[in-house]
Amino acid sequence: MAEMLKVENLKKAFGKNEVLTGIDGVVNSGQVIVVIGPSGGGKSTFLRCLNLLENPTSGKIAFEGQDLTQLPEKKLDDIREKMGMVFQSFNLFSNMNVMDNLTLAPKRVKGEDEAQAQKKALELLERVGLAEKKDAFPESLSGGQQQRVAIARALAMDPDVMLFDEPTSALDPEMVGEVLKVMQDLAHSGMTMVVVTHEMGFARQVADEVWFMDGGDIAEKGTPEQIFEHPQNERTKDFLSRILAQ
Amino acid sequence: MKLKKISLWLTALVCLLGIFAVLAPSGQVQAADNSLQRVKDKGTLVMGTSPDYPPYEFITKVNGKNQVVGMDVDVAHKIAKDLGVKLVIKQMDFDSLLVALETHKVDMVLSAMTPTEERKQSVDFSQVYYDAGQAIIVRKQDLHLYKDKNSFAGKQVGVQTGSLQQDLAKKQMKQSHLKALTKVTDLILSLETNKIDGIVAEDAVAQAYVANDSRLAKIDAKFDLGGDENGTAIAFAKNSGTLVTAVNHSIDQIKQQKLTKQYINDAGKYMATNTENKSMFNYWSYFAKGVGYTLLITAISVVIGIILGTVFALGRLSRKAILHYPAVWYIEFVRGTPLMIQVMFVYFGVGLLWNNIPAFFAGVVAVALNSAAYVAEYIRGGIDSVPVGQVEAARSLGMSQRDTMQTIVLPQAIKIIWPSLGNEFISLIKESSIVSIIGVTDLIYQLRAVQAATYRGVAPIAVAMVLYFIMTFTLSRILNHAERKMQHG
Ligand SMILES: Nc1ncnc2c1ncn2[C@@H]1O[C@H](COP(=O)(O)OP(=O)(O)OP(=O)(O)O)[C@@H](O)[C@H]1O
Ligand SMILES: [Mg+2]
Repeated sequence: MAEMLKVENLKKAFGKNEVLTGIDGVVNSGQVIVVIGPSGGGKSTFLRCLNLLENPTSGKIAFEGQDLTQLPEKKLDDIREKMGMVFQSFNLFSNMNVMDNLTLAPKRVKGEDEAQAQKKALELLERVGLAEKKDAFPESLSGGQQQRVAIARALAMDPDVMLFDEPTSALDPEMVGEVLKVMQDLAHSGMTMVVVTHEMGFARQVADEVWFMDGGDIAEKGTPEQIFEHPQNERTKDFLSRILAQ
Repeated sequence: MKLKKISLWLTALVCLLGIFAVLAPSGQVQAADNSLQRVKDKGTLVMGTSPDYPPYEFITKVNGKNQVVGMDVDVAHKIAKDLGVKLVIKQMDFDSLLVALETHKVDMVLSAMTPTEERKQSVDFSQVYYDAGQAIIVRKQDLHLYKDKNSFAGKQVGVQTGSLQQDLAKKQMKQSHLKALTKVTDLILSLETNKIDGIVAEDAVAQAYVANDSRLAKIDAKFDLGGDENGTAIAFAKNSGTLVTAVNHSIDQIKQQKLTKQYINDAGKYMATNTENKSMFNYWSYFAKGVGYTLLITAISVVIGIILGTVFALGRLSRKAILHYPAVWYIEFVRGTPLMIQVMFVYFGVGLLWNNIPAFFAGVVAVALNSAAYVAEYIRGGIDSVPVGQVEAARSLGMSQRDTMQTIVLPQAIKIIWPSLGNEFISLIKESSIVSIIGVTDLIYQLRAVQAATYRGVAPIAVAMVLYFIMTFTLSRILNHAERKMQHG
């Protein structure tokens, strides 16, 4: 399996606050990595470092063999194009309807023409079950619908990898399922994914690997079975017992 | 970091002082006296005046066009003819006249100006060309209460700001409370509405108002006047000996031939036609022109203000110090100084470097630059209020910073900014009125002109007020409509 992302000794500090203390990890093509861990452990920061929304303090991030930390801002735009990102708070462009949300970047960044971009957008909306909402504005959609549109928007750029930062945390419980379903389908289609989530069920069923992150580094890595059934690290055990007790 | 900030502020301050250092001395350069030659070379003699002082200078309609007329204008015409050059008349507030001389905006000032000792410190004077006594204008029904200046103990007495009468009253009417206003028309209005009890004015001026308003009367002020402190002369920039000599020659002739009498008679005729029909309808063209200029100044200023404001807002938001700090300084400085001073600074200050800066241009530039600072802050606020997640979403899709700004941030910010921009637009209609002080013929200026022409104080104010309201009300309706459309679109 080809290495898609390779992180070496990644560190990130905000002022004196060292949030990432040295992270190593490899994401292979087609793999689904689920990152779990307690709040404040640096999961979001890690994910945002991967596509350089956050500038790492030191370390290396290789994407398809290219070290991102050395690239100038202009080149980074080309890289980000290939890394879709889905946010906890959806972040749909509020000044545009659903169709424009999906076609804006393909037209602006990839130079696709209107017809081409719309055709693909419709297919993607079909796929997330929201084709009839193509003319709606984000504010008129439910949280679950907004998040599905956001996933479709990221997919419209034909990314090589998709990053999810707690995509269901801001949703009412009854809407969590519809979003997880879309992500599950996506995983089955072979998409490479890095998912930060508190949905342990999803992690168990979909993940190829689970990374447990705490205190700025990855305390333990393994298959869902290893992590959930036979955790080795004390911190992992502690975290899981607290989570599963809920 | 702290230290760096302070040093940047210091640099800004030093730069600013530098500007003044460059500008200040050039106003007082003592070059060889080529004043006469200069006038002859350019072929024009520029006269500065504040035309609200009949019979000396005022505005009237000649063949359908507004013109400055009066004794001073006739004197100036005679001088220009004797020198063989063309006379150009520049109108401005009385207070601005001496500054205009120092900054060479005008070659001479004829505005019923008395050559006092104080004024002689800063300008040269010709010989006196007209001698008039001082009078006090009172309400006719109160005429029996007053005999001379000494009857006004404890009373409110009005004078024109910066005038000889103000000086005289200050020194010789110590028992009275003085109230100084810029315009004689405002003083008349104050008198008629019982805000003041008398106005110290030159006899010829008093005569003009009394003759045209049955509610007014005048008495002799009986000041103790010494020498030159009584009479009017022409002011020139310092060191204008050759020009003064030439002009004095013309004044000799005026005196010999007793021309001023003729001039005053002619002025009286204009004043009579002015007062024949005092209906405001008769002056609709004044107001129309004023409205036109006010709207024009506002429109140009808004457009420039928005463009420059956007530039400054982006500068202020920039992380690059070279863009950030100049924008911050500009915004803070402009918002920290009054528009009136900025208008005067552009007209007179920048005028030192660019001599023939037209008043209209200077006014528009000042108002636009002022507006840009406020607009910049509205825009910055709007941009800041766009959630950071919107930007991150766009960037994560590979969109450049510039693209993100154009397609996501600015369109969203505009909706937030729009109402404040609309308010700025409306307040500009009102605040642009300040340009009248440098003689731009906006609505306020025309209101003054109509007041001076009709000897009526309140009616022109009422008309102007209604016109301002119609402008702002219409505009706010249009803006509201546009806003509603935008929020739904
Ligand atoms: N922009 C920032 N500036 C300063 N500190 C930050 C910033 N972003 C994150 N941090 C700090 O970094 C630490 C890790 O935050 P992060 O959001 O990565 O944690 P997380 O694991 O995603 O937590 P959660 O589960 O609550 O989302 C926190 O202490 C947070 O306060
Ligand atoms: Mg997080």
